[in-house]
Amino acid sequence: MSLTEAQRQDMQAQLKAAIDDADERAGVALAQAALTAGITPIELFRDVTQPVLKEIGDAFARLDVFLPDLMRAGLVVKTMQLEVLEPAIRQSGSASGSAGTVVIGTAQGDIHDIGKNMVALMLQVNGFKVVDLGTNVSPQGFLDAARREHADMIAMSALLTPTLPYIKDVVRRLESFGERGQFLLIAGGAPITRAWAQEAGLDGFGEDAIEAVALCQQLMQRRKELRQ
Amino acid sequence: MRQYTRLLDVLDRVESGPLVEESQWDMRLVPNEVAKLLAEYEIKMKPVSEAIVLADDALADRLFAAGLALAERLGAYCVSTNRRIRFSRAEILAVLEVAPNEVTIGDGNDRHTERKRRPEDPSFVTIKGGGVGTPVPEDLYLAVTQSYAQEPLVDAVINCTLERVYGREIRSRSPWEVLVGWHEAELSKAACKRAGRPGLALGCVENAVSDISELSASSYGGFSPNDWHHVAMISEFKTDYMALSKLTHAIRTGSIVHAFYNTIYGGSCGGREGMALAIVGGCILLQMLYMTNTHSVSPAHPFFDNDTTPEIMQAISLGQQALARNSRLLTDVVITPVGGPGSKTLLHECAAMAIMSAASGACGIIGPRSGAGIHSAHVSGLEARFTAEVARAAAGMSRQDADVLVRKLVTLYQPELNTRPVGQSFTEVYDPITVTPRPAWLETYEQVKGELRDLGLALR
Repeated sequence: MSLTEAQRQDMQAQLKAAIDDADERAGVALAQAALTAGITPIELFRDVTQPVLKEIGDAFARLDVFLPDLMRAGLVVKTMQLEVLEPAIRQSGSASGSAGTVVIGTAQGDIHDIGKNMVALMLQVNGFKVVDLGTNVSPQGFLDAARREHADMIAMSALLTPTLPYIKDVVRRLESFGERGQFLLIAGGAPITRAWAQEAGLDGFGEDAIEAVALCQQLMQRRKELRQ
Repeated sequence: MRQYTRLLDVLDRVESGPLVEESQWDMRLVPNEVAKLLAEYEIKMKPVSEAIVLADDALADRLFAAGLALAERLGAYCVSTNRRIRFSRAEILAVLEVAPNEVTIGDGNDRHTERKRRPEDPSFVTIKGGGVGTPVPEDLYLAVTQSYAQEPLVDAVINCTLERVYGREIRSRSPWEVLVGWHEAELSKAACKRAGRPGLALGCVENAVSDISELSASSYGGFSPNDWHHVAMISEFKTDYMALSKLTHAIRTGSIVHAFYNTIYGGSCGGREGMALAIVGGCILLQMLYMTNTHSVSPAHPFFDNDTTPEIMQAISLGQQALARNSRLLTDVVITPVGGPGSKTLLHECAAMAIMSAASGACGIIGPRSGAGIHSAHVSGLEARFTAEVARAAAGMSRQDADVLVRKLVTLYQPELNTRPVGQSFTEVYDPITVTPRPAWLETYEQVKGELRDLGLALR
């Protein structure tokens, strides 16, 4: 069944309230009620979760809301996904509503994580499954995690110039192991420029968290089209 | 240094504090405590359209009280041991009571003493000129550094980073990092000698991404204990073994410690009020953790990487006032403009930051890190000269007068920020052989000084 406009508005309001209150249980109750009413996980994601998260993401881009607001949204939606929607998807055998799986981390030698955390949260609130490897991640650490998680994309962050060679190492390793085509590679951070990313052989570069999400969406779309 | 006696106590707490997962620290403890304290201490700032340099002493004092409470209730976090580092209020007050309120950096005739200042203080702000980690090619490093060292109003130099070492790629935590630390020491010291100021204090080791570069380049024959050695606190309120190893080495060699912490606008601490609280709480925690001589907290904009947007300036100003009015701590402001050399935008941003810093009670100004410090060799000594001249002219200015000037300057540069006017590289604005500004850059500099005089600033 499709949601009526009234249902859509009501559920979006409920989700916003759950996020404002950081009330994971209210989010879970909303998801359960939706499934009971015959709404599919994909419909719930498309018509309720995604528009609400987009609104929050847009507000963050204007700096009308801040990282703690994104964190609350990420927490509530992740709990809804883990406790209700993913089990329902597995049970029904239908396709996941995930926009893609991204393995993310700060490159070796660098321990800065705020920028990376912002990108991870923004990806999460935009429907990506995000596996956060933390900071100081070795080139092999990125590869191992991407293989383990069957990731679509490896996203690498760096704030310091001497960590850049380790990002190139990820590209070189994937090429050497014949796996370059399996994963999309993107990077971002203060010392990284579009020209450097291109020269390093990456698939893309995000100037900031907002651009990173748009880039991931474009790359995933292109990948789907190529695979069809 | 009497405050250095606490080293073992800090290291013990790093190994014995309560265990907490890092995600809990980042996602719950920090944002929740910040939000609670902002409400509890009624920290609410005027819109930036009304004032950037606030003159509300009661608000500044409440902010200091909130920062003290943050240091006590939250403490800091060690990423390496996953432990919280806690201090009682009595311990914090005892440390703040003996924290240094002046420090002499550099050697011989080039020594300089940075002293405590208060809001509207008529004394001059210490100027630590330099590109603050901006990447510079090896063949230009000497000339770029000399361009700052030769400026008479520059009291100390803050180094840029080298893009490569002996033409090779630099890798963090590798022998290349050791080598580049030494290269930074050799070249920056040579630059000071060429400028006729061999004892000028150097902000170092800028290439020390990890501890190994700091430990090597500040050993025998490298940087001196009287240079100012950097130790970072990671956002938000986090440390690790690498930072603590740098600190331990600095303390055991009797070196001067400059500690910094750069919160992010819109990050875990939130908006303007959260940033202001992070500045105060962060400086207190830097003193508790690192026993530091001088402190700087320079919030970064999440999209421009700068600190010259009005929201960030307002937070810096109030944070500086809170610390200046209520503590002995020596606090510096890092200038990170969007504009680069050759652009009027850069000079307008530097002027606004220098006036704000001087009137708010900052003890030192570091930078400017032109072009947000990310564009190769987009830095030059002339912007440090300009910043120093403006800061001197603004010494003793009331916060109300400073606010009028700052807001006028912001209207000049704010519309330009979206275009990212990174300007020109060092060789385009300076003759790298004679190390002198080229006529066009000097002309722009004189034009902006004229504009400032027209606005009422008593510039020489």
